[in-house]
Amino acid sequence: MPRLAPSSPLNGFRQEFDRLEITEITDLALVSIASPQGREAELASAVSGAYGIALPPVGSSVEADAGEPRFLGLQPGQCFALFERQDEGPVDIIARKLSDAGYYTDQSDSWAVLRVSGTRCREALERICPLDLHPQTFVTGAVARTVMEHLGVIIFRDGEDSFLLLSARSSAPSFLHAVVTSAKNIQ
Amino acid sequence: MSQTHRIDGGLLDRSRALRFTFNGTSLEGYAGDTLASALIANGVKLVGRSFKYHRPRGIFTAGSEEPNALVTLRRDGHGEPNTRATVTELFDGLVASSQNHRGPLRYDLMAVNDYLAPFLSAGFYYKTFMWPKAFWEKLYEPVIRSSAGLGRLSGKADPDIYDKGFLHCDILIIGAGPAGLCAALSAARSGARVILADEDFRFGGRLNTETMAVAGTSGADWAQQAVAELASMDNVRLMPRTTIYGAYDHGIYGALERRTDHLAESAGKPRQVLWRIYSKRAILCAGATERSIAFGNNDRPGIMLAGSVRAYANRWAALPGKRIAVFTNNDDGWRTASDLAAHGADIAAIVDTRDRAPLEAPAGATVAMGAYVTDTKGRHGLKSITLSNGTTIECDCLAVSGGWSPNVHLTCHQRDKPQWRDDIAGFVPGPDLPVGMRVAGAANGALTLAAALREGHEQAHAAAEELGFKPASIALPAAEDEAVETSAFFHVKADGPRAWIDLQNDVTAKDVKLSHQEGFRSVEHLKRYTTLGMATDQGKTANLLGLSVMAECNGRSIPETGTTIFRPPYTPVAIGALAGRSRGKAFRPTRLTTSHKSAEERDAVFVEAGQWLRAQWFPEKGETHWRESVDREAVRVRESVGICDVTTLGKIDIQGRDAAEFLNRVYSNGFAKLPVGKVRYGLMLREDGMVMDDGTTARLGENHFVMTTTTANAVSVFRHLEFCRQCLWPGLDVHLISATEQWAQFAVAGPHSRDLLRKVVDPEFDLSNEAFPFMACGEVTVFDGTPSRLFRISFSGELAYEIAVPARYGDAMIRALMDVGEEFGVVPYGTEALSVLRIEKGHPVANELCGQTTARDLGLERMVSKKKDCIGNTLSERSHLNREDGLALMGFAPVMRNEHLSAGAHFTSRDKPATTENDEGWMTSVAYSPTLGHSIGLGFIARGRDRVGEIVQAADPLRGKTIEVRIVSPHFVDPEGERQRA
Repeated sequence: MPRLAPSSPLNGFRQEFDRLEITEITDLALVSIASPQGREAELASAVSGAYGIALPPVGSSVEADAGEPRFLGLQPGQCFALFERQDEGPVDIIARKLSDAGYYTDQSDSWAVLRVSGTRCREALERICPLDLHPQTFVTGAVARTVMEHLGVIIFRDGEDSFLLLSARSSAPSFLHAVVTSAKNIQ
Repeated sequence: MSQTHRIDGGLLDRSRALRFTFNGTSLEGYAGDTLASALIANGVKLVGRSFKYHRPRGIFTAGSEEPNALVTLRRDGHGEPNTRATVTELFDGLVASSQNHRGPLRYDLMAVNDYLAPFLSAGFYYKTFMWPKAFWEKLYEPVIRSSAGLGRLSGKADPDIYDKGFLHCDILIIGAGPAGLCAALSAARSGARVILADEDFRFGGRLNTETMAVAGTSGADWAQQAVAELASMDNVRLMPRTTIYGAYDHGIYGALERRTDHLAESAGKPRQVLWRIYSKRAILCAGATERSIAFGNNDRPGIMLAGSVRAYANRWAALPGKRIAVFTNNDDGWRTASDLAAHGADIAAIVDTRDRAPLEAPAGATVAMGAYVTDTKGRHGLKSITLSNGTTIECDCLAVSGGWSPNVHLTCHQRDKPQWRDDIAGFVPGPDLPVGMRVAGAANGALTLAAALREGHEQAHAAAEELGFKPASIALPAAEDEAVETSAFFHVKADGPRAWIDLQNDVTAKDVKLSHQEGFRSVEHLKRYTTLGMATDQGKTANLLGLSVMAECNGRSIPETGTTIFRPPYTPVAIGALAGRSRGKAFRPTRLTTSHKSAEERDAVFVEAGQWLRAQWFPEKGETHWRESVDREAVRVRESVGICDVTTLGKIDIQGRDAAEFLNRVYSNGFAKLPVGKVRYGLMLREDGMVMDDGTTARLGENHFVMTTTTANAVSVFRHLEFCRQCLWPGLDVHLISATEQWAQFAVAGPHSRDLLRKVVDPEFDLSNEAFPFMACGEVTVFDGTPSRLFRISFSGELAYEIAVPARYGDAMIRALMDVGEEFGVVPYGTEALSVLRIEKGHPVANELCGQTTARDLGLERMVSKKKDCIGNTLSERSHLNREDGLALMGFAPVMRNEHLSAGAHFTSRDKPATTENDEGWMTSVAYSPTLGHSIGLGFIARGRDRVGEIVQAADPLRGKTIEVRIVSPHFVDPEGERQRA
């Protein structure tokens, strides 16, 4: 039998609107890292030793060197490592660097990832995102969990006019519909 | 008819003529007109019929408080009844029709009601239609309903689309009149993020409708300049055509933005957007609403609020009459007279209830001080007025000013009680404003122009300072404090013709007195008894008049009488806007498994399981009944092999040094000693001892487990575990994360399942019964290297596995499984066959784990370990839950084998009638068992385990069916479990 071919939740969706673009990002790996109780310092020093950075507080993110993961602070005692997908298993990559300093769970296939970018991206997101995305409030690099159209979403600002939205894979078509409707409604 | 009442000036774009029709007559107006101003310009006076008496009515106001000029706008599904002509922006091609008449507007057949008025007083239907009782629903109510009311719905689906959204600001300014504009300038210059919203399409409020100068220029020009400055600032969002309709908790405001209502077509864009605005501070600059005075026949077309007559002349260059009289109790009415005179109107008279003239009257006007209007004439339009001094004055328009009521509505949405102020004879905001709200200008009782500008500036300054901004020091624009003295005169007390208080609901002064006489004396009772202050205008021009009459009857003051409670919305909000885009399939999200596409290609029939769509069965060619498909699928599983997508089950990744101990506490049975590489069935209790959920948990490593939950409880179990982890046992090292979405999981069940999986799982993994026995689990690879998890568990009772691959491979995996399974005649099976198989095996699901059943009821009492504690352990020992005659989960088979059982049927002894007193339990699940060839069921029955073989009745009164059933073991197939261990 041939090897199994992967498929992305939204078949690589991409659509351009006026000063706005919605693209599915398919090449990312995502691993949750939980810090063992009482051994938080060990994890912190493992991260700093391996990547030269401190773990981000909840609501913000920090990027290691190019090609290395970006860590998203999502809840007390938990962060997500976001990095480019490679042949090696996502958890193995992190475990190789951090050994057993944390508990790792592969989340790469749990989420559909959309990038909403362009100078009108905030205007489109206003229609579904309850959070204040003003650049002074939700700065580049900021990350938050929220709800859009009844769906849980992790929103991460990866640029002045660019956001990554992560929502559950199974409901990705509904989520995409919500985002595309917002784009259409502001045109 | 052309624009006979159009005059020079106004804020219109005369280069853009707009054609529209009213009741089929084609008319013309200009860009900048409202429908009302265009009708006035065209000399149209009669625009509708009143609610109850079908009296002829004309335009009464120039704003959202309009009680009379309600029209149906547009046609068919786009038709919108009860649209206020006074706030409808004119567009080319607008189609409007009047409401609430039979036959032409001018000759309404229902006008007979007006002659029946003595029989139609407040509450008449409570009194008149009491007997015979049966007539109410069939006759009286339909007749009343069809003769009363305003516009009619089209009955068609609304073809427009609506949207919602979220906005954030430091300072929300509600209303863009002088106070609002001044507040916005101050706030914006301080650097704060400002939203300025106004229901009008043109910012400026009274600056556009009056003639007073600001900063040495006309008010309207100053407003334009202010708007231009605000528009140029990045930190300001201007929202015209936007009504802030409600003040909610924590500085949250509801706003309705009308985006395409002023256009002929929406062009596929949302017609309206309902915004939720999060503000840190809000400044209410909502202005004031003029009120009327109640006097005899004060409802004729041509009788209007004075400020509105002035607004039509100044802003819209439309004179509502050629010969206009003014009836006032305050100074402002005199300004109306002078403004109108300046536009060339003939001022017939100024009638002031007070004794001393405050200002100079226009030349030629009769001035009657200490006088009032007692009656009017002119059925379809005002012809003359009669004064208390006996004189009759001919006029075609009467401008009435009863003083100004501050628009305190939003200040009261969190139950603030407005306070009475004698000097303006009106209510102003009280001390308990919604959090973060300030009030400025006329809404705060500051009725003069200079005061409004000053208050707007001051409140914005203070709000900005509170938020840590450095307010800019700006010079207040110069303006005058005009004369605004008023008197508390609300209605003309005379035994004459009916004096209207609430024009929209046809409530007269007499109705209010009747309400008092009949004991409905609280203002809230008055409102419900007479309908005063109800419907689309919520009594904006009427409430205070009603209160004054009630206060008089009670012998108390107006403040003692109090106001009714103001509730959102401030003005009507279409249901479509409240629904937003949550229509049809977009009402809630749909979750799809990774095998969905493949199932669609196989023509699967889907069923909703919560938000999930699951394949229910897969019809094959020639199958005409669902049972054929389901029976075939179930039989194939028992005989060979079948595959079912079980991704929807909740999967929770549990890690930590104390993970095993954690599971030991949340499950009733022991998990501490579960070896790595093994799966165990677990039962979870609620604190009250009832069964909460069940599932299997696999130990992947010393500190690593993966739990499965039922599909329905995936979220609630996760929430429960987080509660346990964070709140009950914060000292445990345990971490949870959902893995439901991460893995595509398939049940491979049937005697050939191992054979099939040997072609799937890479050869280095030994699947023999010895190496991978029942309840084994492990990480394997499939199809040359794809990581996978394999669990040997069985829901069907057959030799079975569940195999999981990362979701990205789910689609490829189901296709590959079907391909390699072809030689075994593999079938995909859906939730129906899944259900048949589990009922045959006696496995409980949500039907049995209904939240009211215990482990003992389910025959699982041995799973509540007494060697350790767990959630629910103690309360499961309650004596009532352990009665001798308690329920037991049993199997049921029809005595007559060809009969079908029904779920929900209740059991009674054969010799007793099927009544509640004799109820012994109920049927929870039924299926046709293709294995046994007859219908089978599971259910709970008292003392079930002692009654095997007994015949009882299964009564199903809902479906009108009672049959005899025999109590049997709940395990219909392979009770010893030999197949699953093979």
